Amino acid sequence: MQLVEVVVQRQQEYTSRMNESPTVYGLSTGPRWRSPAIAVLCLLASFREARGQQSAPEPVTPPEVVQRVDAVYPPEAMAARQEGTVVLLVTVGADGSVTDVSVAQSGGEALDRAAIEALRQWKFTPARRGDQAISSRIRIPVLFALPPAGGVSAPPQTQPAPRPENKPPEPVAAPLAPAQPEIPGGEEAIDVTVRGRPRPVSRGSSDFQLDIGALATVPRQNASELLKLAPGILLTNEGGEAHAEQVFLRGFDAREGQDIEFTAGGVPINEAGNLHGNGYADTHFIIPELVASLRVLEGPFDPRQGNFAVAGSADYELGLAQRGITGKFTAGSYGTTRTLLLWGPSGASDGTFAGADIYKTNGYGQNRDGHRASMMAQYEGSSGAHTFRIGATAYTASFHAAGVLRDDDFQSGRVGFFDTYDPLQGEDTSRYSIWGALDSRYRTLLVRNQVFAIVRPMRLRENFTGFLLDPQQPQQNPHPQRGDLIDLEMMETTVGARGSARASTQFIGLPQEIEVGYFARGDFANGSQRRVEAATGHPYHLDTDLDSRLGNLGLYGDANLRATPWLALRGGLRGDLFTYDVLNKCAVQSVAHPSRTNPPDDQSCLSQQDFGAYREPVQRVSTVGSAFEPRGSLIVGPFWGVNGSVGYGRGVRSIDPIYITQDAKTPFASADSIEAGLDFNRRVLNYEFSARSTVFRTRVDKDLIFSETAGRNILGGATTRTGSANAVRLTGRFLDLAANFTYVKATFDDTGLLIPYIPDKVFRFDGVLFGNLPYVTIRPAGRPFRGSLSSGITYVSPRPLPQNERGNTIFTVDVNATLGWSFLEIGLACTNLFDARYRLGEYNFASDFHSQGFPTLVPVRHFTAGAPREFFFTVALNFGGEK
Amino acid sequence: MRTVLFVIGIGLALPLGFSCGGNTGGGRVSFRASALGPPTATGTSLEFTNGVGYHVALTRAQLHIGSVYLNQTVPSSGSQATACILPGIYVAELLGSLDVNALSPSPQPFPVAGEANAIQARAGELWLTGGDVNTIDDSTVILSAAGTADRASVSYPFEASITIGRNRFIPSADPAFPSLNPICKQRIVSPIPIDLTPHSNGELRIRLDPRVWFAAVDFSTLPRVSVSPLLYRFTDSAQTSADINLYNGMRTTIGAYQFTWQ
Repeated sequence: MQLVEVVVQRQQEYTSRMNESPTVYGLSTGPRWRSPAIAVLCLLASFREARGQQSAPEPVTPPEVVQRVDAVYPPEAMAARQEGTVVLLVTVGADGSVTDVSVAQSGGEALDRAAIEALRQWKFTPARRGDQAISSRIRIPVLFALPPAGGVSAPPQTQPAPRPENKPPEPVAAPLAPAQPEIPGGEEAIDVTVRGRPRPVSRGSSDFQLDIGALATVPRQNASELLKLAPGILLTNEGGEAHAEQVFLRGFDAREGQDIEFTAGGVPINEAGNLHGNGYADTHFIIPELVASLRVLEGPFDPRQGNFAVAGSADYELGLAQRGITGKFTAGSYGTTRTLLLWGPSGASDGTFAGADIYKTNGYGQNRDGHRASMMAQYEGSSGAHTFRIGATAYTASFHAAGVLRDDDFQSGRVGFFDTYDPLQGEDTSRYSIWGALDSRYRTLLVRNQVFAIVRPMRLRENFTGFLLDPQQPQQNPHPQRGDLIDLEMMETTVGARGSARASTQFIGLPQEIEVGYFARGDFANGSQRRVEAATGHPYHLDTDLDSRLGNLGLYGDANLRATPWLALRGGLRGDLFTYDVLNKCAVQSVAHPSRTNPPDDQSCLSQQDFGAYREPVQRVSTVGSAFEPRGSLIVGPFWGVNGSVGYGRGVRSIDPIYITQDAKTPFASADSIEAGLDFNRRVLNYEFSARSTVFRTRVDKDLIFSETAGRNILGGATTRTGSANAVRLTGRFLDLAANFTYVKATFDDTGLLIPYIPDKVFRFDGVLFGNLPYVTIRPAGRPFRGSLSSGITYVSPRPLPQNERGNTIFTVDVNATLGWSFLEIGLACTNLFDARYRLGEYNFASDFHSQGFPTLVPVRHFTAGAPREFFFTVALNFGGEK
Repeated sequence: MRTVLFVIGIGLALPLGFSCGGNTGGGRVSFRASALGPPTATGTSLEFTNGVGYHVALTRAQLHIGSVYLNQTVPSSGSQATACILPGIYVAELLGSLDVNALSPSPQPFPVAGEANAIQARAGELWLTGGDVNTIDDSTVILSAAGTADRASVSYPFEASITIGRNRFIPSADPAFPSLNPICKQRIVSPIPIDLTPHSNGELRIRLDPRVWFAAVDFSTLPRVSVSPLLYRFTDSAQTSADINLYNGMRTTIGAYQFTWQ
């Protein structure tokens, strides 16, 4: 995490920690600075005039910062390890705009230019003499300093210019002497000090370190949708709003997270041992407004990535840039309401926050109603060389789900597009977690440790197949088809810790780093899955009943080495140990030779497997497996703004406990991934442009294939994906535009056939225009009106389906417009602007929902309906905060 | 700008280097279906000599087909009776009922199209039912037949209305297998050996052969229900050997039904 510390001096000195994400492009968004300390620190431009008057001067209020833009460390200066202080004289006009910037003290041509470019974009409320706005001049020193050795990663010299995904460290400044000589005219200086911890070093062109920034205004239903800022992401959901999103990433059907390692604030989200899918990751507990940045590493290229990082990893960094109290209320279509409260204490860092969110909806069709509540809080503090964080989350949700529909029933009019077959489907879920982290610096050594604990109850009810899977068995009492509704419940407790020690040094005149780290996690999971009779709601069969104790210990070594300023080798080796101790409490479900006494009635768990031989219906199995995962990236550049990279990595995914056999040798799947890419960054005038392109190939030895009869993924054979991911981003004073496109071909190794359901072309656009409203001269209380217009566009080409078919095209446009003044902001959002009737999920399989006169036994098309056009009106208030 | 275009161009051009296309295997097809009688039938009659020496002249032979399924594999019972439905093996289904005139050599179309996967089918199923295949009580007439059987100068005008309901249900005698003889087993004629692969623009044709139904029927065991006119009637039960043999003949998987793909 890039932790930024802002120190504002003069008269009232305080420290606030601010997440750098909104300012990575040199743009800060949202409400203006409201710190009274800053106002105090602003200059009194008319001091000279006031001193000349015989009578007592009218009170003069200094200009107040409305929009602050951080300077960008020039790549060439960073490469040359150039540091310095640039003192600028900034003239603020009567309209609050910067009319002139001159250098009072030079720090070198490159640093001067970077500081000037940033300051030209600052916005102020003008200084006032009484009620009259006046121009003023202020002195602003900007100190450029590289991160101190041992505390931060080496500057990303190969990714020189600020980019959306990998930004260099912010200019680091030490506080200047408190007593500043006043320049003629009574100007006083604003001292802005920034200290920071840089982000993880880039692992190449597949490493997307995404600062949300202004793109936060693009309509998003939940934190998972932030993933779309990275290329190749498609999200679907057949289980309702409380169900984890199904994520497709670069040719992987990661289902609900089984092939992607998810973390929030360093705390794991994937659930080992979840019966619905080992690695199930539900991110709905994350309040999107508390996501400061997101790192999506597409591929297993970082030794820190652990279990489930087969397709890659997604790390949500939590923080709240907007200080003060923010209340937001949203009301929208289909009885949707959301109430959000956020608190960022003034004077505290962005890592100190609290948020609470309550959401309800009646749903846009049958059986889609639900409720959700989430709370997140974190405190971040420091003491000397130590920085600590403690936090907690609480989340609970209950939703109904519509499930799938048969296309032939829809085409014939037997069901409507937004209908449901089984109203018993839905999910009740909760998550409670706490964590604590401590970072300590010892000269050239940075030591980080974190502990966490998670409690996770869940109940899921899904019916994919209707009345298909309950055939009459000879040994059963006569019964009709009772229904295939799956009622799955899980209770999981997770405890764990992670830590690292990073040492930095200089060798051959270049910074070098070595890091070693550990990860430990224990999961205690109880899960069962039953079939429920449709007519009565009674469970009639126990499919699975597992009591799992799982362990994962990982150790890694990672190096960031430079042979030349333009050649970096990053990577290392990771080792993981997986332990399984699984008690199957219903291990015997069929009898070879039924007798008069066995099985009694229609019991699910039997005590006789072979003729005449009694056995307990349980079976315990245990095993251990270890995996070694080499990972490395070679990064070359920059040359004329272009970096090149090649990378290799091996990732692993632990196997579902249900598949574990005694002493199984390799209880995990492994993936080998290679990639090569180019990225380009350039700052032109006041615009930052970046582009990157990557080609990749990944092979998994034991892939997961969706089984509608099991209701989850089941182990399949080996598969390979080959493709290309591309992304561009343009940011400026009033715009932030991002687009990405991915092409991939995913096939089975043995047959060469396409893997069903994997989208082969995905395009995504996110864009926002923002700023003070032009041509609006009315400024109540001297504060301008500000607005934004944002849009998110998704295109997914027809996906391959079983039986050599293709699904439909997905094309949706979401828009949002906001209008704000001072502490108030209103917004109107529209999702699926063109009311496209699209199928979010499509599947070919057999089902029988008793919709026709005879059983339907042949695989046919099924789908889950995408949401229709919806409108949401939001009112937001912020008090007492700055950004 | 050139550099920008170069980078973007690389990313967009590279996918073209990958082989496009590909498929997931198989395919789904919709198909027409029809049923017909043997080629020697005239449309209103069919004459043949059965295995018991009767010269049979059918004047009516109508079979009610509820639905038709094709399977990938031949259902295997092994040492334990299997369920009527084995999920995962079905290749094609035809879910419309048809009353087939088995005396007509002309194809009679099913009222609905069928759905299939382009996968080789090795076994066919005829579901002879008027409704839910698992409901014991069903009064639907599955086979309606009439004609005259002659042997040794004795003539047996006859008629038959065969149903498959409670009259065919066989309760299990083994408490360990209370559902050993579900009624669905009586109604599903399976496995009918076939070897065909559904494909687009094709037609499934089911040929019925009433001669096989009556192959082992001894008409002399039928009860006489009328003297003038003379009439013998099948009892639609297991009372006579004629009834049993006709019922079994109607449900035989060998020879009575032929599936072809046109």
